[in-house]
Amino acid sequence: MKTQSIFPKSRPGVSGASIIDADFDTGPTDASWFDPADVREDSIGLPEMSEVDVVRHFTNLSRAAHGVDNGPYPLGSCTMKYNPKRNDVLSTLDGFAHAHPRQPEPTLQGLWDMMLELQEFIAEITGMDFVSLQPAAGAHGEFAGLLAIRRHFEQLHHDRNIILIPDSAHGTNPASAAMVGYQCKIIPTTSDGMMDLDAMEHHLDQRVAGLMLTNPSTLGLFDENIQKIAEKIHANGSLLYYDGANLNAIMGITRPGDMGFDVVHINTHKTLSTPHGGGGPGAGPVGVKAFLEKYLPAPVIRRIHGRAAPDDNRPMSAGRVKSFFGHVEVLLRAYCYILTNGADGLRTASENAVLNANYMRARLADLLPPVFAQRCMHECLLSGGSLKVNAFDFVKRLIDFGVHPPTLVGAGCVHFAKEYDAAMLIEPTESESRISLDFIIEQFRRVAREAAVAPYMIETAPHTTDVAKIIKDQNAWIQLLEATKY
Amino acid sequence: MDEKNPVNGYNVHTLKDRREMLDAIGLSSIDDLFSQIPSEIRLHRPLNLPPAQSEWELDKRLHALAAQNATTRTHLSLLGGGAYEHYIPAVVPTLTARGEYLTAYTPYQPEMSQGILRVLHDFQIVMGRMLGLPAVNCSVYDGATALAEAAWMACSITNRRHVVVTEALWPEYSQVLNTYMRGRNVTVSVIPTDAMTGSMDLEKLAGSLKDTPAAAVLTQTPNGYGVLEPIEHISKMCHSCGTLSNVSCYPMMLGCLKAPGKQGADIVTCEGQSLGLALNGGGPYLGVMATHEDNIKFLPGRIVGECDDLKMEKALALVKESREQHVARDKATSHICSNQALLAMRILVYLSAVGEHGFQKISRLNASKAHYICERLCELPGVRRTHTGHFFNEFLLDLPCETAPLLVTLQKQGIFGGIDFSRLYPNSDRKLLLAVTETKSKTELDRITDVFRRAIAELGGVIRS
Repeated sequence: MKTQSIFPKSRPGVSGASIIDADFDTGPTDASWFDPADVREDSIGLPEMSEVDVVRHFTNLSRAAHGVDNGPYPLGSCTMKYNPKRNDVLSTLDGFAHAHPRQPEPTLQGLWDMMLELQEFIAEITGMDFVSLQPAAGAHGEFAGLLAIRRHFEQLHHDRNIILIPDSAHGTNPASAAMVGYQCKIIPTTSDGMMDLDAMEHHLDQRVAGLMLTNPSTLGLFDENIQKIAEKIHANGSLLYYDGANLNAIMGITRPGDMGFDVVHINTHKTLSTPHGGGGPGAGPVGVKAFLEKYLPAPVIRRIHGRAAPDDNRPMSAGRVKSFFGHVEVLLRAYCYILTNGADGLRTASENAVLNANYMRARLADLLPPVFAQRCMHECLLSGGSLKVNAFDFVKRLIDFGVHPPTLVGAGCVHFAKEYDAAMLIEPTESESRISLDFIIEQFRRVAREAAVAPYMIETAPHTTDVAKIIKDQNAWIQLLEATKY
Repeated sequence: MDEKNPVNGYNVHTLKDRREMLDAIGLSSIDDLFSQIPSEIRLHRPLNLPPAQSEWELDKRLHALAAQNATTRTHLSLLGGGAYEHYIPAVVPTLTARGEYLTAYTPYQPEMSQGILRVLHDFQIVMGRMLGLPAVNCSVYDGATALAEAAWMACSITNRRHVVVTEALWPEYSQVLNTYMRGRNVTVSVIPTDAMTGSMDLEKLAGSLKDTPAAAVLTQTPNGYGVLEPIEHISKMCHSCGTLSNVSCYPMMLGCLKAPGKQGADIVTCEGQSLGLALNGGGPYLGVMATHEDNIKFLPGRIVGECDDLKMEKALALVKESREQHVARDKATSHICSNQALLAMRILVYLSAVGEHGFQKISRLNASKAHYICERLCELPGVRRTHTGHFFNEFLLDLPCETAPLLVTLQKQGIFGGIDFSRLYPNSDRKLLLAVTETKSKTELDRITDVFRRAIAELGGVIRS
């Protein structure tokens, strides 16, 4: 059955809410309150439904959705790990849920204590000196981090307006850089999946403010040249920015700060198990080395006279990036996750994430040969080039067998170079047990077997969903973009 | 290696699993998995974090932290300033907590995400109706970033790099606006408000528009003094100069008042928190953006639209992605990737649960309770409303005494009496900003008035003429 909009279900006169106030049930708007020209005369067009019908509508729609709670979600680069239920409960306690951000500061001591501690935890995990929890999502963390870099060079009176970005970077990297006022120079990837060092050096001059790097990269590889990269970037007076999208692979094993990065953002839904909610809300804490601390968005939480409190007095700050202090409810979940795991648990999570990805890589190698010879980190890039059907069709058939497709070109937030057109980025995450991994692997094999005998079943997949295959032509959009040139 | 079975956190493997999986990979230890990471940058010690907590210890710790916060449940609160204590029907958190929604990713695979896409599509429709303009995205981070993104949109649409903004924005909004505009090289000029009415000084606005061609005038209604702005008039002034009228509004007022989009605004944004989102100590909330169909290609963020499936039947998917960062990269309309999808769902559930009549009634209750207590408080000696302009549920009072000690006295009686206005805007001594929502009963409002009366008398307020 197709999903239905809520609007045709409206039955005027029915209400799902109890809104009674005998003292103020005055009926129409009092003429003296407003300018008569501003008073609403028509209805808005909101649906009217009984409570039970509202509940059934949204419950039924949820059957046409798929979360980590439903099954495996090996969506490369998105790190769809399990979202612990205790965190849902503990992030919505009254003491936080009903706290108003403009309450007098001393009445929010629990909030400041939690935030200060979480800042310190994230600083320790990333190897940075100081963390701001204000950014609303990963891309927003990039924005805050790049603003700090820009402010740093403004203070030095250095005219640097170029950011180097590898071609494998998330699209948010260049988009955030543009919002900060930087020009982007794109660095190609070598055939072994590393950022091209020579190309980087070619672009490295006094106009370069920094390099944004994701390590492990969105190709699932750890860039072994990282020390050399850091050395060259710093020798040029530029700064090194860490996109924490793949931090899940290295918790407790290595830290961006120790690799030489000056600024780091993390995505709490990728690293610290906060749910993605079908597209947010996330949180994008940003960490910096000490010399950049003064440029972080105001306010930050710090210890003032022995107590944690927000500090608004930051004349050097690069500015505020959102209202209030950050996504408290989301941050509470991240806080719970770190406390539940401790150092050992976080390390185990990363170990299992890398173990699981390598296991899938090994077990699928005959069917989907790895694009790169070296071992992968938390995700593996496998080639669908030798499949009997195209990769786009292939992965759609996985849906029928309860597995969310891996990331493909144009299917998600990752930008791949053209050479990897038929490649799949598979990230099982640490949450999948061996039984689950074997199940996923078997579904890949089953689809491959089917491709040999009944390719039409794959070309027309999925068959079990509410709607049939939807084709969105990415190239058409790219052409449109070029035509409109905005 | 790996002698102890990891029992912390959320480990899913037995030691035997791990060994067999390593065998399948052709490695002998877990450490081998990380051999490509140079030793010099490895962390050769455990992370310095508190020891792993049992679920009951975690539960105690979080409850203890929560107990350190006062809330709008422990106190009678008249706090507003961009975040409001409204009633949230139980169906809102219950339905949005379903794992199918809560634990899903952005609907990149539309075939298996029609439920989420339907929710987001209906959200776009319902917010289009609320704000009075049809083209709506799936949300941005909050009301402040919505205002800033809308300002940049106006710059792109008009090809101008100057915006005009009311001085009576929430201070966080103007700080965010400045942050967002600086990198884009957009200049911002500020228009003062009329001291008597509290609404935008239209003569000054006319002068500014004549001086420098502006991409947009950014108005907030109700503004930071709680005063409603003449949107229709401002929009007309904008349009005569080829300038867009951008309006940031408080959606709860829309049950009583016309949608800004129906009064000539070109881009309407709002903070959606009041529509079914908990206060959460300041977030997460969500920003909503609505505009004309013609402007869609300049909108930031996700947009859900109808398309055809293989059987040529209607289906939903994320559309118009050429605007977005994963396609357009540095030429994208914005960097936004994760937005506030689950909170957009909360808004749709909220508006469906209260319905048309329920929402209009809640909106009226806000206005009527606020006007009631405003009148009662203005009967107190030396207390008067600062401005004459109309208000919805928030208003600014001149006090006969200092604001801070008054708030301390009220707090001792279990009342958050409003916002000391000098915390928001400089040079605003002896001023108090109060917001009243449907959640306060007449008995509570009368009690608050009573406590105000005694507190002001105690503080020996100097009565002004």
